[in-house]
Amino acid sequence: MMTTTRSLRKKDGLSGVLHELSKNRILYLMVVPTVVFFILNSYMPMFGIYLAFTRYDFRGGIFGSPFIGLQNFDYLFKSGSLWRITRNTVLYNLAFIAIENVLEITMAILLSRIGGRVFKRTAQSLMFLPYFVSYVILGVFVYNLLNYEKGLVNTVLLSLGGEKFDAFNTPRFWPFGLTAAYIWKTVGYGTVIYLASISSISDEYYESAQLDGATVLQQIRFITLPLLKPTFITLFLLSVGRIMRGQFELFYNMVGGNGVLFPTTDVIDTFVYRSVTKSFDIGLGSAAGLYQSLFGFILIIAVNRVVKRVNEDYALF
Amino acid sequence: MGKKVRASKDSAVFSAVAYVVLALISVACILPFLLVVSASFTDEETIARFGYSILPRKFSLEAYGFIFKFPETIFRAYGITIVNTVCGTLAGLFLIAMTGFVLQRPDCRYRNKISFFIYFTTLFQGGLISWFILMTRYYHLQDHRLVLILPGLMNPFLIILMKNFIKASVPHEIIEAAVIDGANDFRIFTDIVLSLAKPGLATIGLFLALAYWNDWFTSSLFISTPAKYSLQFYLYNMLNNTQAMRQMAQTGAAIGVEAPTESVRMAMAVVCTGPILFLYPWVQKYFVKGLTIGAVKG
Amino acid sequence: MKRTLLTLVALCLAAAISFAGGTTQSQTAKRTTATGLDISQPVELQFWMLGDAPKDLPAIEAEVNKLAMADLNCTVKYNYTTWTDWSQKYQLLLTSGQPIDLIFTAEWTDYQRYAKAGAYKDITALMPVAAPVLNKFVDKSGWDGVKVGGKIYTVPAMYKEYVYDGFEYREDLRKKYKLPEINSLATMEQYLETVLKNEPGMVGIAETLAANQFSAVMSLTAEMLHPWLDRGMPQYGLAADNAKPREMFPYWGSAEHLADLQLFKRWADKGFWSRSILSSTEDIATMFQTGKLALKMAGINPNKFATDLVAIKATHPEWEIGYYPFSRTTGVVHPVHPTHNGYAVPAASKNPERALAFFEKMVTDKRYNLLTQYGIEGKNYVADNGYYKMVGDSNTNGFGRESMNGWAWRNPEYMLFAPSYDAVKKLFAEFDKVATPDLYNGFAVDYLPFQTEKTALDSVTAQYLAPLQAGLVPDVEAGMAKFMAEAKKAGLEKIQAEYNKQWLAYCDDMGIK
Repeated sequence: MMTTTRSLRKKDGLSGVLHELSKNRILYLMVVPTVVFFILNSYMPMFGIYLAFTRYDFRGGIFGSPFIGLQNFDYLFKSGSLWRITRNTVLYNLAFIAIENVLEITMAILLSRIGGRVFKRTAQSLMFLPYFVSYVILGVFVYNLLNYEKGLVNTVLLSLGGEKFDAFNTPRFWPFGLTAAYIWKTVGYGTVIYLASISSISDEYYESAQLDGATVLQQIRFITLPLLKPTFITLFLLSVGRIMRGQFELFYNMVGGNGVLFPTTDVIDTFVYRSVTKSFDIGLGSAAGLYQSLFGFILIIAVNRVVKRVNEDYALF
Repeated sequence: MGKKVRASKDSAVFSAVAYVVLALISVACILPFLLVVSASFTDEETIARFGYSILPRKFSLEAYGFIFKFPETIFRAYGITIVNTVCGTLAGLFLIAMTGFVLQRPDCRYRNKISFFIYFTTLFQGGLISWFILMTRYYHLQDHRLVLILPGLMNPFLIILMKNFIKASVPHEIIEAAVIDGANDFRIFTDIVLSLAKPGLATIGLFLALAYWNDWFTSSLFISTPAKYSLQFYLYNMLNNTQAMRQMAQTGAAIGVEAPTESVRMAMAVVCTGPILFLYPWVQKYFVKGLTIGAVKG
Repeated sequence: MKRTLLTLVALCLAAAISFAGGTTQSQTAKRTTATGLDISQPVELQFWMLGDAPKDLPAIEAEVNKLAMADLNCTVKYNYTTWTDWSQKYQLLLTSGQPIDLIFTAEWTDYQRYAKAGAYKDITALMPVAAPVLNKFVDKSGWDGVKVGGKIYTVPAMYKEYVYDGFEYREDLRKKYKLPEINSLATMEQYLETVLKNEPGMVGIAETLAANQFSAVMSLTAEMLHPWLDRGMPQYGLAADNAKPREMFPYWGSAEHLADLQLFKRWADKGFWSRSILSSTEDIATMFQTGKLALKMAGINPNKFATDLVAIKATHPEWEIGYYPFSRTTGVVHPVHPTHNGYAVPAASKNPERALAFFEKMVTDKRYNLLTQYGIEGKNYVADNGYYKMVGDSNTNGFGRESMNGWAWRNPEYMLFAPSYDAVKKLFAEFDKVATPDLYNGFAVDYLPFQTEKTALDSVTAQYLAPLQAGLVPDVEAGMAKFMAEAKKAGLEKIQAEYNKQWLAYCDDMGIK
């Protein structure tokens, strides 16, 4: 068995750290710019989290403002909406993750297996177009499509002899509508990731499988899907950390502040946006962000640990 | 003989299904975009009265005329954005790839800790105010062109994706072989990884370029000299300006304020998307079958 | 690859070095102004305003700096927040502690709240010393109106204008269908019914996206129905009669409220607006100017009317626009509150006296004022018979009238108006006859004591009151009962009690009987 030229013996303690650093010094040097970047750009500003616990006063600045403990969290926890907005946020995100990834994997597989190069390239490009249509524009189109009096959907329904559909007053419709809008907008982008992963799979596997008589579906099941697993798990883990953060642009632009639809469309980000913009207090937004961060943090640590036990390579950290 | 025939028949069925599904999805994706293009070539009044359609009911260049009213300013914004995107993407891609390479090396003992260090920043953020204070008062990036490039260079999501791509496309045996030959890690990175991980590089490069291209937020926060506006911000701001002037209680007749907003919004989308659509097909070819085979065999 | 990186690093270093750039040499000779203000050191003032900079700003800035150097040994840099995310930028400018010297304030940019939190310097004592002319120019009611906790934090603008509301309608359509003058709810209804029946594709009433709760219809029509209900009310369901401002009473849940909601239901059933109005993405200004909207009602003050006159004359000269101010029915109208446009010195400024002295020049010195309001005479404008006349048009002229957004440093003595503004002036003259001072807009309630309840109430209002106001609820009485029950659960009573308490304290402060 071939061993690497570098020693596999791990040393402990400070001498262990120094040993590792000098052994792989070029590797660590290569990440220095990155580490510096994150320190400057992400870690240094973290003192702003303290804002969540103060009532901001210009005379004191961030650290001189009066400390009010957890009061900034009251509007989140005690105003009666917490369960609803958390539930909506999490459920939407779960639906998004599941449907999005299944669809993207499917599209990537289909695209990678068809022969016509022109068709392949064109389809790929077209699927990417929704990325360029902003949610604001999409909101305008959806309103034109679904509004009660003149919307295209209702015009068609009437001409078919049916009844009009009052979309903007029907909360039950929007989980489907919003999911469809989100999927439409992001499918092209995510498919690219899976396409790139598929293209790293060596042709040899498929060739030998074909020689053994495997059908297309069998090839997909036994070669493609398992080799896509790492990518899928990575994307899944990345989404888990953000499970408490909603797609603000999506929700805000599709239904706006329409209160009738709140039971099914109000998520944490839209709720906070409403409360914070109509109110002047600076600590409120920070408090909400901290809530989302903590929740996501605990969740990802737990899930990552589980994944690590199954296969260390798949874990995020 | 029999096996081959069966294989090709079922793959033909599969292909047919694939073509149909992909065609349907492509149509679904392009339809709204056609609405955007058609609305950009209509006048405001037609949109307000009759809504949106695939072909313009009444052809008009009103929206484009409004956007290109002062052509030098918009071309300058184009220039700024192109420079930012190119510089940012090249620099960022290099740094991200380098980081991803290190993080996927099994012999790097602290790679998981570094991964966590990077990933943690997506979980907890200090908020806009503290970041703004640091950027303007301590890093002195207020109204500086670098501010459009620097913050976007690194993105934990892309770093982690890149790590996966490199792990998948560069087998560890190749790296070990190079180590035995005496190459240092940086050389391994530049010579081997950059040529083998092309699909990953293309993907991350594309995402990075798109992020830079679409960024208006950094300009909005930090840039106060109109000559330094990025394209997206320039256009988005133009739209906000006309809308705000409508809302504000102004004394005296506001001259020349009958600015179209909906059609301009559509034209803006077309103007911003155009250049990228030319980039994408060029990048696409890297998503074709990889070039890893052959390297290990020898 | 490596080369690009090195180039980038080199660029970074170059940039960093350029920052070590020079500061101006300070003169040591002592200079003072006529009032004894020390101006020995030259300074550059940072002046911030909302909106976008006009194209020719550099030219104007240069001219102003020539004057400022001579008069006050200072220069000014004009900065703009643009209209994108302006309120967030405003907040960042103040919280980041940057050395800004002058910044715009208004009650609609949370002037009172920022003042209470210490964002601006207290200029009560500084004004007589640094800017005595301006100090006298602003009258007592102006200074009193901007006091927060007894101290002055901003210099109010002195131009008395009215942004009170009314509605616009298509006068040509009224004449076409031989409808009576529109001056009451009944005539409004008649107009809308007839027009909608005979002009397919038109919409009766609409709402801009930002409002999203269709409350504009509610409060504005209420202004017409109930003379005692002031603009901006109800606040948390409370309203006050103009004759007895101290006494706030609950409008929500009252018989009048029910009657109003039933009126809106009737109008909704008649199809005056879309059932999907609560999610509408359409802009009412566009709708009206393109002929889709029959009656424009949200926030329509005389200026908007004048704007429409000009805009529509260019595109559809065959239309006629009518305007009806609510004050004709109610007899109640207020000029803007002094806090509506003002300029303050942020707490982080290092040159407060010089900033105030400079602002005094901008307002009271005719040269500065005309430059910054209208541009360079002969190049950007000419004074034609006492009217403002633009040189060229908006494509060639880089500095239009008030394009620096100089609302806060207007000087009524030097102002020039476009001839189209005469229509507005006529309305203002009409208002002058019945105007009473604005008592309510100077009051900004402190939310902290009821923050949680306020958040809960906002959600309840959006979910239950908005559809009632949009006439979407089939049983109005039951709907209103449900709304009131939910509002009580959210803590409405606590909010109203606290609001009342603060309002009475404010009245005592301001001497409102």
